[in-house]
Amino acid sequence: MFARYWHKLPSLVRFTARRLLAGVLLCVGVTLISFILTQVVPGDPITAALGDRAAGDPAIVAAFRSHYGLDKPLPEQYVIYLAHVMQGDLGQSQQSRRPVTTDLAQYLSATIELAIVAMLAAMLVGVSLGIVAAVYREKWPDQVVRVISLAGVSVPTFWLGLICLYIFFFKLGISPGVGRLSPGVATPPSVTGLITIDAVLSGQWTVLWDALSHLALPAMVLAIYTVGSVTRFTRAAMLDSLSQDYVRAARAKGLLPRTVLLRHALRPALAAIITVLGMAFGRMLGGAVLVESVFSWPGIGEYAYRSALSLDLPGIMGVSLVIAVIYILVNLVIDILYAVIDPRVRLA
Amino acid sequence: MKRRQVGRSSTALVAAAVAIMAASGAAQAETLVVDTAFQLKTADPAREFEPTANVFMHAIYQNLVTFSGGDLTKLVPSLASLPQVSADSETFTFELDPAAKFSDGSPVTVDDVIFSLNRVANVKGSPSFLMDGITVSAGSKPGEVVLTAATPDPGLPFKLTNPALAILNSKALKAHGGLDDATASTADKADAYLATASLGSGPYILEKFDIASEVDLKRNPAYWGPPAAYDSIVIRNVDNSAQQMNVMRGTSQIALDLRPDQASSLGKDFNVEEAAGSDIAFLLFNFDPAISSVTTNKDFREAVTDAIDYEGVLNIVGDGAQRSGGLVPSMFGGALPGSDGAKQDVAAAKAALARSGIKDPAVNLAYASDLTKDGVSFSDIAAKLQEDLQAIGIKVTLQPSPVSSHLDGYRAGKLEMAVEWWGPDFPDPSDYLLFGPGQLVGLRAGWKAGAAPDITDLGAKAAVESDPAKRNDLYAAWQKAVNAEGPFIPLFQPATTVVLAKTLEPLPFNAMWTVDLGAAKPAAK
Repeated sequence: MFARYWHKLPSLVRFTARRLLAGVLLCVGVTLISFILTQVVPGDPITAALGDRAAGDPAIVAAFRSHYGLDKPLPEQYVIYLAHVMQGDLGQSQQSRRPVTTDLAQYLSATIELAIVAMLAAMLVGVSLGIVAAVYREKWPDQVVRVISLAGVSVPTFWLGLICLYIFFFKLGISPGVGRLSPGVATPPSVTGLITIDAVLSGQWTVLWDALSHLALPAMVLAIYTVGSVTRFTRAAMLDSLSQDYVRAARAKGLLPRTVLLRHALRPALAAIITVLGMAFGRMLGGAVLVESVFSWPGIGEYAYRSALSLDLPGIMGVSLVIAVIYILVNLVIDILYAVIDPRVRLA
Repeated sequence: MKRRQVGRSSTALVAAAVAIMAASGAAQAETLVVDTAFQLKTADPAREFEPTANVFMHAIYQNLVTFSGGDLTKLVPSLASLPQVSADSETFTFELDPAAKFSDGSPVTVDDVIFSLNRVANVKGSPSFLMDGITVSAGSKPGEVVLTAATPDPGLPFKLTNPALAILNSKALKAHGGLDDATASTADKADAYLATASLGSGPYILEKFDIASEVDLKRNPAYWGPPAAYDSIVIRNVDNSAQQMNVMRGTSQIALDLRPDQASSLGKDFNVEEAAGSDIAFLLFNFDPAISSVTTNKDFREAVTDAIDYEGVLNIVGDGAQRSGGLVPSMFGGALPGSDGAKQDVAAAKAALARSGIKDPAVNLAYASDLTKDGVSFSDIAAKLQEDLQAIGIKVTLQPSPVSSHLDGYRAGKLEMAVEWWGPDFPDPSDYLLFGPGQLVGLRAGWKAGAAPDITDLGAKAAVESDPAKRNDLYAAWQKAVNAEGPFIPLFQPATTVVLAKTLEPLPFNAMWTVDLGAAKPAAK
């Protein structure tokens, strides 16, 4: 019965359902692995969470263990955690004493805002440079782009962040410096958690400009690494595409070079570009910690770092789970986009 | 054509970024901006024990008594008068200032004091130990509060200055889930509310609390003292390299975490308050024979004490750091001058090592490899000690580990030799009696009760002595005895640097709350 209805569904729906189910299993696996890893690393959360005197007081230690369920056997702790996760409860953070979901909503939105802007910049610049490098293969523009992309992936992000801050904020004074907003500027009422969007929704244009001005420099730094990899992938994909017969045929038909390039060569290359962009977005969300540290950006990377330092088990597991979910969703979207871009791809 | 398009888009992108950055909003003139690298977990006084919490809580909450400026040896009244102390130093009677009121306008009452202090004790948080053995009750007269210690405790009034022992508005606290009875450890829910609003009586009130980015304060319009000088104070979580740029660009006015070398490069537009910090770094030997047969040897300990190049260690720590003659930091009563500390004598060290009878002496030296205190890396200190000890023939194997796992071994008393540190829980030398035999830190060094009866007796006398001069003498004698016989060698107090723009009146460094933000005011023009 189910099989009959299942096979009547469009292939895209079946594909998405299968991937989502696999994603749920993957998430359970991620929780198990991160739970085991947090248990085997040396160090006791009590040591990290309590002061010297408090850690020596059995009553305080017992209260702490009881409050966070650390007094129960490990398998029971995991099962309880999983049961709570099913209800959307990721536990209470030991470092902030707030629900992990509240923390994640706050810090993840800051990182998403940063990553989206960085991603758009990386996509625009990286794809443009990749096309230029492919069109002018082995000529001087290609060599220049190669140097740029190599520098992009080679320069340490932390160092680049400090240098950019020094030049654009300290020396030139055209960047407002660190943080998401200037001191004294009130955050707009939170709807999405993205200050720029919330400022637009509430019509606070001064806040919007202030938020954008703070966003520009860290997003640029975060984008630079991705620009390098996007450029290289785009160049390779475009070179492959430009050597195909259908591109030669398009040229032979006398089509404008721009039409040949953007319609006939770029479209088939997009699949590879989207793959690298998708992976880069996931990497930005999970790996923005250095940029966030330099620019005092209260994002998920900073939160993950603080959770790890303080052995905040619910915090560590919450971050792991959310990053896993994002990766899974990004992969799913990429696969669906493949089919949209190239109808020859079947979502079997 | 293609080149022009790509060039146009890239140029437009860069231009847009520059234009957007240039359109930044400037800090408002009436806002004081403070940059510090956050060490922060909660906005609940009963649960806080982190340096950043002390910085802002001192501006929004008040205690029964406090300190003025940077002097931690002399108490001054705050919400209450200085206490009347019983002859046995067990009973302390405070009289509340009738003018004191909370930010909602309600008066500070005896009930508020009892509730706030009992809540600290029962919530079982990091500062709960401050209330160990202390009962709080109403006095015989209106507005009188009596604190009774289970044993004589002349240092008790000094403990009461800790921001964790602030007095909160009990009615409002109860209304938001606050409890002060034995159920508080599991049932008290007020910490979430205290992250959104403050229930104190200080010159500022809490506007925003975000442990990752910033804490905002605004002027308390109902403050019962002289009005606060700033409309608002923004305390931002900023890495120390960015702190330097911010304060030089004028986007912040106070930087709390600059190293002395960074501060010295700032120029004449800044007031730099440089002082020895209240943390003490020390070398620990384990006296437990089950842990080590080497560090238990008295002559070995003497050899190590004589072998260390203390001046060289100070050079590594940097300008502004100083040596303490004993375990009690220099700003507290009873501290020993640095000249009373051990001195390097390589010949004596070699002779002591020969006397020890240990063949091919070798030890493991543990330290927290990811810990930096006021710009001092413990890895550098450990490497310096290794070099000094190897110069007299002691093989030292360095054992670095992350701070959380290092603390596990230290607190369990499993480390043979280690570089450790201690920050004061309260500004009184009695805090350091924990280093005695059979006490919390002493046991971490395998120094068991009864191991040194003379030192135990000295400590017991110092703990109950109420005459300040005699008390200081007893603590000095206790430290000298620990220096001579104990398992600890004090190494240094790192420098603490507070940088203030000259647009502010100078603020002294205070080891309890770093700077008194409530007292900050613009410089006279």
